[in-house]
Amino acid sequence: MAAGVAAWLPFARAAAIGWMPVASTPMPIPPQDKRKTKEGLIILNVSGTKFQTWRTTLERYPDTLLGSTERDFFFHEETNEYFFDRDPDIFRHILNFYRTGKLHYPRQECISAYDEELAFFGIIPEIIGDCCYEEYKDRRRENADRLQDDEDMDMKNDAAPVNLTFREYLWRAFENPHTSTLALVFYYVTGFFIAISVMANVVETVPCGTLPNRSKELSCGDRYALAFFCLDTACVMIFTVEYLLRLIAAPSRYKFMKSVMSVIDVVAIMPYYIGLVMTDNDQVSGAFVTLRVFRVFRIFKFSRHSAGLRILGYTLKSCASELGFLLFSLTMAIIIFATVMFYAEKGSTATKFTSIPAAFWYTIVTMTTLGYGDMVPKTIVGKVFGSICSLSGVLVIALPVPVIVSNFGRIYHQSQRAEKRRAQRKTRLARIRATKIRSTNAYMRYKQNGLLFDSLEEASKESGQALVRKALSPPFESQHHHLLHCLEKITNHEFVDEQTFQANCIEISVTNKSGSRASSLSSSPHGLSSCCSRRHRKKSSFSLPSTNNQELSTIQIRERPVTNSRSSLNAKLDETVPLKCDKPYITPSMVSLSAPVVTSSDGDGSTTTSAYFQSNIVRVSAL
Amino acid sequence: MTWAQRTTCSVLEQNSVEDELELSAVRHRPEGLEQLEAQTRFSRKELQILYRGFKTECPSGIVNEDTFKDIYSQFFPQGDASTYAHFLFNAFDTDHNGSVSFEDFVMGLSILLRGTVQEKLNWAFNLYDINKDGYITKEEMLDIMKAIYDMMGKCTYPVLKEETPRQHVEVFFQKMDKNKDGVVTIDEFIDCCQNDENIMRSMHLFENVL
Repeated sequence: MAAGVAAWLPFARAAAIGWMPVASTPMPIPPQDKRKTKEGLIILNVSGTKFQTWRTTLERYPDTLLGSTERDFFFHEETNEYFFDRDPDIFRHILNFYRTGKLHYPRQECISAYDEELAFFGIIPEIIGDCCYEEYKDRRRENADRLQDDEDMDMKNDAAPVNLTFREYLWRAFENPHTSTLALVFYYVTGFFIAISVMANVVETVPCGTLPNRSKELSCGDRYALAFFCLDTACVMIFTVEYLLRLIAAPSRYKFMKSVMSVIDVVAIMPYYIGLVMTDNDQVSGAFVTLRVFRVFRIFKFSRHSAGLRILGYTLKSCASELGFLLFSLTMAIIIFATVMFYAEKGSTATKFTSIPAAFWYTIVTMTTLGYGDMVPKTIVGKVFGSICSLSGVLVIALPVPVIVSNFGRIYHQSQRAEKRRAQRKTRLARIRATKIRSTNAYMRYKQNGLLFDSLEEASKESGQALVRKALSPPFESQHHHLLHCLEKITNHEFVDEQTFQANCIEISVTNKSGSRASSLSSSPHGLSSCCSRRHRKKSSFSLPSTNNQELSTIQIRERPVTNSRSSLNAKLDETVPLKCDKPYITPSMVSLSAPVVTSSDGDGSTTTSAYFQSNIVRVSAL
Repeated sequence: MTWAQRTTCSVLEQNSVEDELELSAVRHRPEGLEQLEAQTRFSRKELQILYRGFKTECPSGIVNEDTFKDIYSQFFPQGDASTYAHFLFNAFDTDHNGSVSFEDFVMGLSILLRGTVQEKLNWAFNLYDINKDGYITKEEMLDIMKAIYDMMGKCTYPVLKEETPRQHVEVFFQKMDKNKDGVVTIDEFIDCCQNDENIMRSMHLFENVL
């Protein structure tokens, strides 16, 4: 329970009056509130740090908190100063704004803390001075990104519940192999087959020795043609099945078919099918051989398996403009130098520089500092320009490359941060859950203490201890617990923690399996297990709360007494709220005494119930 | 689309949205302390305390429904308090402008904590009467009841059934609906509550809250 909303507890308690008319039992007594709590210069006391300023300074900006009558709400009469329970370090900047008219953003402060203070004091962030504005904006954007990422993660992970259709489930399994073991297996199998297929393509071109009656060396592919064909068939079948499954599961088939990965998939398996169709036609078999080149595209299928490959591809895509610039400047330089070299070498005999396009090859090889040596200038002028060409090549290529590299670095680091945030999210959620469980447990403990305190002399010894325990808990906590207790009373149900609830569910379903007893009311066999199902599932018309609890009570639920008079429960089912009798666990005895009063107003025989309750009173002392 | 693409897209979108939002931040300042003192039954000190708490959670000076739901849910971590908070919000937002200002808040609290029993019952009736037509029908009561039971959450003992709220509504209507016409009017409601000593006692329960 955040202490920040402690100030709203009075509101929550007052709003509880809205539940009172629907209550059928009296409410528990609230805890006693023992503590009672009070041109010229203005003293502003911010969490102990005293600031002083002139009244007129503050009134310069009448539409903020400090400049308007809103500050009267914070006036503390006893010390004759304005007290604010806020951060004094950030307040310094806010007060400086009134003094100098310029608002600055301190770099070491957290952006959300700063924004909160600004909002509290009614200052719009736009008036941050130019000196600090850029920094403020950047930090704010980063923060917003982080929140957006968290929301996306939330939405992605909240799709976990059971209500996925088979198609959605399949798609999720494909996109996120970690969701189920089947998906993981599928992921690894496809990866394995991609590797096998690519290796087969490579190996089948290796020369494998000659057959005895032939002089020409055969490649492995020709020698073991059948084996390679079978391997290829197997791989293509797996890929086809995968592609079809993805196509079926895709939420938007058209979008899926347009995506890069699906194009790669198609290109990877097409050559095989085309080959199957066209095996007997000699004329096109030449073209068919070329088609086999496309089989190498199977290696791109690995990008589904490797995040780094995806980042690389994404970097290249995002650096398209830098790459374009690189290409353009290179082309310009190539044309210039090729022309110069051609005309320089025109005079020399038996020159290789036969035309400008022929000189392109020399220029490219020289600018990229490859220097094959198949084309060299022979004249002095040619050599001079050749050296200028190689020097400039280094410069032209070195300039755009760092931009691409830094882009890659930035995207890679972003992915690292997102991974870290995802990992931290698990611990964050665990922390939130732990806090919830702690508050529930605190409430359970309060109830046990409080009940022992409220019951009559039977528990007087324990009341002494309970008093001590109660005094130790802060008044805010006890008030909150009292509020939760009122809610329990209104609805006649109790809060329990996760383990007890699961245990109850298991026990109920166990009883159900062992055969439901015959009862005067109809019960559907799967109704009992519905208590464990999620609430939004439609339940069958099951109307046996009391029988349910009677079965519950015959199972030894820990710490709870067990007797239930079955006939009385059945008789009362249609009358009062049967849940009242569902509590074999009786807490304050004053409740048990007054309950018969209410039930007797329905004209029912309350003798059985009072006997029931009395038997339970006896049980309480045995606890 | 890879997540990296999505990130850059969202960043680009956010810039424009953020810029729009900043220029239209809503703020509200309450009337002066003296006026509120005159209009409600709280003393000056109590108003100061209330405002400080109000302002801490809602620095902009008004509560919109989402913030309201958020605050109220923090008191009931095990269940889902948002539906009941929605009805509460409508009960507090007396001028139905979609937000609860400090004045609305303090007026509501003044009735709940310092009002006469008649006023409190009136307020409760107003809360239950969702469409504010002067009659509580069974459907309205069922909505309210479900909202209250939702606050309990899943882990309860005994386990909450689907028809528990409905049964509770039946009990309520049997008690309140004297002329058995299927709706509860304000007079039936107040009459019946005044004759029920449990309810009368519980109305005084939170008087020393502040």
